[in-house]
Order: sequence, then structure tokens, then C-alpha cells
Amino acid sequence: MRNPWAQTGNYRTSYEQDTTIFATYREIVSVGVLLVALVLLPQFLERSQVLTLNFILIYAIAVLGLNITTGYAGLISVGQAAFMGVGAYTVALAAPYLPFYLTIPLGAAVAAVFGAIVGIPSLRVKHLYLALATLAFQEIFVWSVGRMPALAQGASIPVEMRNFLGYEIGFRNHNHFWYYVILFTLVLMVIAWRNLLRGKYGRALVAVRDNDRAADAMGMDPGRTKLMAFALGALYAGVAGGLLAYFQRSVVIEEFTLAKSVGFLAMAIVGGLGTVVGSLLGPAFIEYLRLLMERFSEWIKGNQVIQQVIPPGVDVASALLPLSFGLVIVLFLMFEPRGLYNWWRLVRSYFRTWPFKY
Amino acid sequence: MKRSMLLIGLTLLGLAQAQKTVSLVHSGAITGPTSDVGGPYAAAIEDYCKYANEQKLIPGYTLNCIVRDDQYQNPNAQRILEEALDRAKPAVYLGYATGAMLALKSLIQEVKLPAIPASAHIGLIDPPDNTYIFLPTSSYSEQVVALLEHIAREKKGAKVALVVHPSAFGRAPVEDARKAAAQLGLSIVDVQENGGSLDNTALLRNLEQKGAEYIVHQNVAGPVANILKDAKRLGLDKKIKQLGAIYTGGNDLIRLAGDAAEGYLWASSYYTLEEDTPGMRLHRELAAKNNRGTLGQSHNYTAGLLAAAIAVEAMKRAAQRFGRIDNVTFYDALVGMNGPNAFNPGFVVKTANSPEIDFTKSEQTGGEGLRVLEVKGGKFVPITQPFTSALFRKVHYGK
Repeated sequence: MRNPWAQTGNYRTSYEQDTTIFATYREIVSVGVLLVALVLLPQFLERSQVLTLNFILIYAIAVLGLNITTGYAGLISVGQAAFMGVGAYTVALAAPYLPFYLTIPLGAAVAAVFGAIVGIPSLRVKHLYLALATLAFQEIFVWSVGRMPALAQGASIPVEMRNFLGYEIGFRNHNHFWYYVILFTLVLMVIAWRNLLRGKYGRALVAVRDNDRAADAMGMDPGRTKLMAFALGALYAGVAGGLLAYFQRSVVIEEFTLAKSVGFLAMAIVGGLGTVVGSLLGPAFIEYLRLLMERFSEWIKGNQVIQQVIPPGVDVASALLPLSFGLVIVLFLMFEPRGLYNWWRLVRSYFRTWPFKY
Repeated sequence: MKRSMLLIGLTLLGLAQAQKTVSLVHSGAITGPTSDVGGPYAAAIEDYCKYANEQKLIPGYTLNCIVRDDQYQNPNAQRILEEALDRAKPAVYLGYATGAMLALKSLIQEVKLPAIPASAHIGLIDPPDNTYIFLPTSSYSEQVVALLEHIAREKKGAKVALVVHPSAFGRAPVEDARKAAAQLGLSIVDVQENGGSLDNTALLRNLEQKGAEYIVHQNVAGPVANILKDAKRLGLDKKIKQLGAIYTGGNDLIRLAGDAAEGYLWASSYYTLEEDTPGMRLHRELAAKNNRGTLGQSHNYTAGLLAAAIAVEAMKRAAQRFGRIDNVTFYDALVGMNGPNAFNPGFVVKTANSPEIDFTKSEQTGGEGLRVLEVKGGKFVPITQPFTSALFRKVHYGK
């Protein structure tokens, strides 16, 4: 008799059991509670707090894509922001003619095509050489946008959506409306991501990552798998870019630079490469770290005792922001290379074996 | 007892009235890209706000200055502004980056919040969504066109190269510059983007090969300083004359480029630190009082003071005229700052035909006067009288 509420004592004795997403009712309930909490959360927050959540969720979608390319396929990419940009600019150009629920998939599709093209070097090069190829695309993208009058040479292209099915969207509800759109999209993307990894293509990604020659010997096509990884990763980025375009009401090139791509890698590393939970925790951690350090900086500026100790003209408070970002990355790489996901795994393991300790 | 209660009530009412607060919000690049501009700019705003409170420039109000570091990142600027709108309800937004300001245009338009940005991108005051954005001084485009006019007066048919920052900030004047050059009989031989290369040999040799006689910069001081030093190293400093718009020059450039800056021409509306005007005296006073060091030597510090001064003046007028200060009354006070009611704080030059700072609903550039200054003996020295560009409106607006 299998315990439907806890995994204690349950053995996975079939293929279906081994690949199931929810092994027990408790897992279903916990996910349900999380979703309900996320749906209700904006009702208790200010607009600017919802704004921060929106950025976190958008970045989470982009990092999910990066976790396909880098986390599962093992292909280093520093061009994720450029793929976001492809999606965003596609949306910006299509927005005057199509509704958002069509422009965003269109942007994602175009980004996927670019992803497949950029992935072609992965057929011949690996590791840092491949990273340089994606870096090249990142820079080519920024350079190209800067020279295309149709894209305002990187200046602002407005993306407005004033109403949806008669529901007026303005300053007062803009953040909340897009929160729900982004959350819904994120849930869909997580479901797709999770199911991808349950199928043969997902297993092919892992196999190619671990040993592409062995995968080839077993009948998988490493080349096609890598291209698919890049295309899917870019598709997710395209979705994120499209959502960002609508949420920010405009598209500007500063959102899709190399620094952003590095930031996404940092989020993936901090959160935990190759994990869904890490894709959510990483962006949240980085963004709230930024907020926390900003508050800390303001506190230092306002503290007269500290200000008297600091030499005149030295702005220690403002310097804390960039310092903290770099320091956190280094500390995670040194002490917790598996990221925040590992902490989550430890917490979850406790309850998985409950009431036993192990 | 009743008398005591009445006295307490009146006291509390008096305190409440005396403690009225009005807010302004600024987010800029205190750290990160372009922080060489954003650092002194933000410092100036902070210092001017303290000064305004100490001197009670807005009678009956305490000025609450929200100064934040957005690290030149648009999401941060957006969040900072929305936080302020939720919590502090500012009367004005002192913006900074071109990209962020362009991205925020629609929000500013929707909430009807007046904005006085550090960015002088012409697109900010061009339709759409431009009602509430006011540039303290002339736009980058106008500055570059003015420099081209200066070149044309110096040498007819000259070959000119543009070197711009690789961003919307840098690219803004290029189109207008091309049109102006065609009108002036100049040749634009090349447009290069440079965000801070440490070795500009290839750039300079390329321009030399194309026969460039002048380089007009639209950038910040750091990259320009590197180019000047490399030009001197390569012996091109006598062959190619270099000029630049507002954010390329000032004491920042002299400090960074040293003697390589000699002969550099700079289009600026601001008085120099050595000039004796009420605004510049205040600049020196506040910089010294707040130990600003090199930040206080920068014309970007002057720019920050000007933005804050305009904001405070508009707040004062709003309080006097309407009895309250909010975004609506601030806007009305700001667009009424013209004619005999123009604002003359002493930070920027004025021409014979226009006061120092004046705004209307349709004229959203405050200080229209420009001067060309040249580095002589390690200092910027004016070589022209204040003027406005004769050609800019024609090439940009077609009228």
C-alpha cells in the first residue's frame, strides 16, 4: 500500500512513478498553496513592490531558458539578454498590429530561430570557445540595433497596451495586471520546462552534457540536441523579452546588453544551475539583495556617526552596491556552488523522509 | 481646562502647518556607467536641498530629497520612481539617463509628473508623451549643431568626424548633425562610436586617413580624454581639432587629459568655476562646505545645482501662487517661469534675446544660451559671447 501523502516507505517500482512530477498529494497541495499565495500576494503590496516582483518573474523566465542551455545542456551562453532583445524588438514592431497574446509568441519564435543560428558553433566548439561565440552574438546584436533606424538605433520604441477585453490598464493597475500575465506565463513555462525534461529530448540534453560521444554512440544526435537547447533557451528568453517590453511600456537597448547577460548567468549560478527552483530563487535573491543594499546605503548616508568616521568626499555608501553584487557571486562559487537550490533541497529532504531523520 | 486644550490644539495645528513637507526624487548613476557624470550631479542635488532647507527657500515647507543610485539601469530607475510615487508623492522627478528617461516618458505623461532630466536628448521634448519633460539647458543636438556652425565659421568646407557614445545618448545628435553639415557646406566623413576604449590608435588613424580636420564628440569626459591623449601621442593633436558637447568637457576633462586637453573646444551653457556669478559663488560655497573635493570641481555639479534650483524655485512659486505644492501646481509654476518672471540663478549664460531660464508649455528648454570655450593654459576660457544655434530648429523641426 503506497502512502499517498508522504514518500516515506514508498519505492518507485515503475517508469511512470520514476518520472512523475508529483509523487504524493502533499506535493500537489504544497504547489497549490504556493500558487494561491502568489496570486493573492499583490493585494498586499504597493505598486512598486509588485514592480520588483514583475522583474523577478520576467528574469526567472529568462533564467529558465538559460538553465536549458547552460544548466542541462552544459552549453555556456552569455547572450541570453540578446535573445531577450530579439523577442522584445519583435514585439515592439508587431504590437501596433497584433494583440499581446500573439506578439509574445511571435517574439519567442523569432528568438528561437536566432537561438538555433547562434547555436551552430556548438557543433564544433565547446566550453569557453562556445561562450565566446555567444558573446560575439551579444555584441553583434547590440551593435546592429544601434545602427538600425527601424529600431530607433537603440532608443525607446513605445509599446503600449491600454486595455484588455475592456479592462482599462493605466498607472494604477499596470503593475498588477502584468503581474498576473507574467505569473500565468511563468507557470506555463515551468510546466513546459518540467515536462521537457521528462521526455526523451530532456534526457538527450543531459546525456549530451555529460558525454556527447557516448550519447552519439547510443543513437542520439548531439548536434541537433545542442541546436535544440539553444533554440529552446532563446525561446524562453524571447518570451521574457516580450513581457518586459509590455511591462516597461517601451523597448530600449540598455535592457539587453552584455552586463544583463552576465547578470542572468549570476542569477542562474546563485539560484542553482539546472533547477526550476533555482531559476526562481536566483533572480529573487539578486533583486532583493540589490534592494537591501540600497536601503543599507541610505542608512549609512543618514547615520551621522558613521559619516564622521568616513573621510570627506568618499562615498562609501554608494560603493556598497556594486561591491555586494560581486562579493555574493564569489562567495556562492566558493562555499555553495550548487546555489540556493541546495538549501531548498535540504529543507525539502527533511520533510520528504518525515517522520524519520534519514 | 478648555483654554489649555485650545492652546494645545492651536500649537499642534501650528506645528502641523510648520512641518509641511514637499518631495523631489532623483535617481541617477552614482555608481556604474557614466558615474563620472552622475556622481557630482547627485551630490549637487543633495547639497542644494540641504541649502534650501537651511535657508528656508520654500517658506513653510521642508524639502525632502530622495536621491537614489540606479547604477544606470532602467529597471532601477523605474522602481525608484514608482516607489516615490507610492510613498512620497513627489512634485517633480529629476531624472538622469537617456535610456531610462525615454523608457519612462509614457509613465511620466500618464501621472502628469513634471520631470527635469540630466539627459538633454531631444527626443525627450519631442512628441509623443512630452508634455511634462523640461530640459534645463539646450539639447545635445543643438549643442552639436552649434559646434558645427562654429567650425563652418572657422573653415568653410571642412571635413568633420563625429565620435559618439554607443547609446541613445550618444547617437541622438547624429541625424541633425548630418543635416546641419549639409546646410553649412561641411563634410561628415565618418561617425564612430566609442564608449571608452583605452587605445584609440585605430580610430584616430582611420579618421586621419579619411582626412578629418575636426572631431566633434558627443560623449562623457573619460573616453574623450583617452582620445585626446592618444591624439597627442600620435602627433595628431595639431592636425585634427577636437570639440565636444556638454558632457565631454569641463574640469573633469582637464583633470583626466592633462595637457592633452589644450586647445579643446567645448559647447556649454554653464559658467565656469572661476566666473563670478551668484550661482557659481554658491557652487563654490556648497562644494567647500560639503567637502565635495573633485566632485565639486565638475560642471556636472553645476548641472545638478541648476536642476535642483529650478525645482526649488518652481516649488516656491507654486506655494506662493496656489497655496500648495504638488505635481499640478509645480507644472503650472514651471511653465509660468518666463518673461519678467524668468528665473536667473546665475548658473548658465543668457543671451541678449533670452533670460537665463524660461519655460512655457511649448518651449521646454530652459537655458537656451550657449558659449564655445577653449582650453588655454589648463583652463576653459570662453571664446564666444552667448549665442543660440541659428540652424538647429530648421534642421530638426524643419521650420
